[in-house]
Amino acid sequence: MGGQACVFYGAAQVSKDVDFVILADQANLATLRQALDLLNAERIAVPPFDADALNRGHAVHFRCRCPQASGLRIDVMSSLRGMPPFEILWSRRTVVRHHSGEDFDLLCVPDLVAAKKTQRSKDWPVIELLVDIHYEENKERPTPDFIRFWLLEARSPEQLAQLAARFPSEAADCSVRRPLLGVAVSGDLRRLRSELFEEMAIEQERDRLYWEPLKKELEGWRRLEAGA
Amino acid sequence: MALADLPDEWKEWVALTPAERFDESQRIFAQYLAMGGTLDPDPDPSCPFYDPREWNPDAAHGRAGLRVLRRGAG
Repeated sequence: MGGQACVFYGAAQVSKDVDFVILADQANLATLRQALDLLNAERIAVPPFDADALNRGHAVHFRCRCPQASGLRIDVMSSLRGMPPFEILWSRRTVVRHHSGEDFDLLCVPDLVAAKKTQRSKDWPVIELLVDIHYEENKERPTPDFIRFWLLEARSPEQLAQLAARFPSEAADCSVRRPLLGVAVSGDLRRLRSELFEEMAIEQERDRLYWEPLKKELEGWRRLEAGA
Repeated sequence: MALADLPDEWKEWVALTPAERFDESQRIFAQYLAMGGTLDPDPDPSCPFYDPREWNPDAAHGRAGLRVLRRGAG
C-alpha cells in the first residue's frame, strides 16, 4: 500500500518508505517479526508492535539497520479507516509479477484511493492522478465496476464532466451516493470545483475525527515510554 | 494533479508497465541516495503519526533532504 503502490500504478516516481497492510493475527505477526529481524528493523516510535494496537487502527513504525536497507522506514498497519477487513482487501489485491519472478501484492486501485483519503493535503492530488491513470488505461474497455469507480472517485472537474457526459445513466445512478455528479452533468465546472473542495474538506474532517482518540492513545504510550 | 496537466516526461512514466516503473523507481532512488538524500520522512504536521519530538533525528538543519557529511570543529 502507500507510496510504493503508487509507484507501480504510475502516480508516484519514488517513495522513501514502505507501507504494509497486514493480517494482524499471532502467527502472521510472528512471521513478520522474523522478517523484520532479518532487516535489523527496530521500532522507532509508539505504538507497541502488537495485534491489539494494529487492530485498533494504529500504524507501527520501524527503521531498518541492516547494511542493505540501512535507514529504510517500514510502516505496518492492519486496519484502515472506513475500509473492509484485511481478508477482503487481500482477496481483491492486484498482483504485479516482476521479471525477476517476484510477485508484488498491492492494494487494488479503488482500495488505494480509499486509503489515501486522509487529512493530509498531499494525498489528494495523488488520488486524482490514480483515477486519471486508471481511466486512461481502461477507457477503451470500461466495465460497469470501472465506470462506477471513475464516477465516484474522479477529482478533476473536467474529468468528471467528461465522464458524466459519456456515461449519463450511470452518473444518474451514482449521483445518489455522490450528489456533485448532478453538477458534473450540468457542466458548471466552477461550481463543480467548489463542490469537490467541499467533498475533500468533509472527508479530511472525518479522518481527523477518526484519529482523535487514536492520537490520545499515542500520547499515552509516549508518556509511558518516556517514564520507562 | 490531473494527468492532462503533467509534463511529457511524466506521461512517458505513465506509459511504462508497473514492473518497469518499479525498476525505474529503484534507479532514481539509488541516485537520490548516492547524492546524499536521506530516508527520513518529510515533516508533516497534518499526519496523525507526526510527532516533532520523534521526527528526523538524522537530519541536518531540520531538513530531510540534507545530511551532515562532515562537521567542522566548534
